[in-house]
Amino acid sequence: MKLEVVAPLGKIYEGEVQEVTLPGEDGEFGVLEGHAPLVSTLKAGVVDIKKDGGEELIAINWGYVEVSPEKITMIVDEAVPLSNSQGHDIADAIQKAKKLMADFAESSQALAYTEGKIESAARNII
Amino acid sequence: MANLKELKNKINSVKGTQKTTKAMKLVSTAKLRRAEVALKNSREYAKKIDELVCSIACKISSIKDLEHRAFLTEAPKKVDIIFITADKGLCGGFNHQTIKAVSNLLKEYKEKNIKARLKGIGRKGIEYFKFNEYELADERIGLSATPNYEEAAKFIQSSYEDFMNGEIDAIVLVHNGYVNKIVQEIKINQLLPLEFKEKKNTDHILDIEPKHDEEKVLEELVQKYVEFSQFFALLDSLAAEHSARMQAMDAATNNASEKVKELTLQYNKARQEAVTTELIEIISGMEALK
Repeated sequence: MKLEVVAPLGKIYEGEVQEVTLPGEDGEFGVLEGHAPLVSTLKAGVVDIKKDGGEELIAINWGYVEVSPEKITMIVDEAVPLSNSQGHDIADAIQKAKKLMADFAESSQALAYTEGKIESAARNII
Repeated sequence: MANLKELKNKINSVKGTQKTTKAMKLVSTAKLRRAEVALKNSREYAKKIDELVCSIACKISSIKDLEHRAFLTEAPKKVDIIFITADKGLCGGFNHQTIKAVSNLLKEYKEKNIKARLKGIGRKGIEYFKFNEYELADERIGLSATPNYEEAAKFIQSSYEDFMNGEIDAIVLVHNGYVNKIVQEIKINQLLPLEFKEKKNTDHILDIEPKHDEEKVLEELVQKYVEFSQFFALLDSLAAEHSARMQAMDAATNNASEKVKELTLQYNKARQEAVTTELIEIISGMEALK
């Protein structure tokens, strides 16, 4: 299925994916191909994208997602993508992602959770 | 030979102006390219948020009546007009077109007995309306030259809140928008209440999460939509400003070339005349001596 992530300053991600885990307002949820149509608000957290040939993360501060069976569209405010194609810049990106979370997370627990997620996933990516 | 020298000076000064206008054109071309990219990037988001607002609104309206203020259909009594102009001039009729559109709008509202409140971004427009003794509820200089999402959101915030509180009934955004490199177009956008363009058939089942609070989902989205529209208008206006300036400066450069040509012709004529007069003087002097 297709995933598209757009922020006010431009497209952040576009591509074929297999599974996406999203930080929904009421809790985290995963989306696979053929999911029932859905619209949800997203809170500050990490979007986990699984696709052919690896995993990618996008840290977001807020967002909306529209899910249709063959396409996911997300609109976000601010986002920091983390992927292995970034090479040496990944450390920078991780710092930025953490800062974004620190600015927008609702509670220290949520913050710790997302930070942990960023770090462990970053390890996977690298 | 005072005339010759005068002409020479004139030619030089026109050439100097031409250099300036040419440089300004080049600067605008470079800035336009950047503004175009920003605009293009944001267009995607604009499209998506439009779709999303529409599909959520359709979904909710298919279950129950939309009572949300954002979908008000009554005629407005009090309206916020927000205009965007450039901070600088030298861009042809760019600013003036916006000012004219705003003035017309104000007149129209006055005829309909609708109260209008004016808010402005951009020095040129603000100066004009202040000079003509209009009252501005809010003004911002510097934002139209460097659009910034947070600042844009902050600017529209008070209007949004007033709208939700029922203090005003509509928000109208006026700016000169970018069509392509040579065409700009005045855009008068009603941000709120949202106008339903089409009632899409929502046969497909659409779940809205969080489930209990569909109205809230919509409200948040509407706010985002308003903020973003303001930001997008700023980008649009900036691109249009640069394209207008590019054109104006191009025209000025061409005019300067023409003027130089004309002046050079005059100069040559004057020079020739002077030479002829001198020759005649010499010859008649010689004739007299014979």
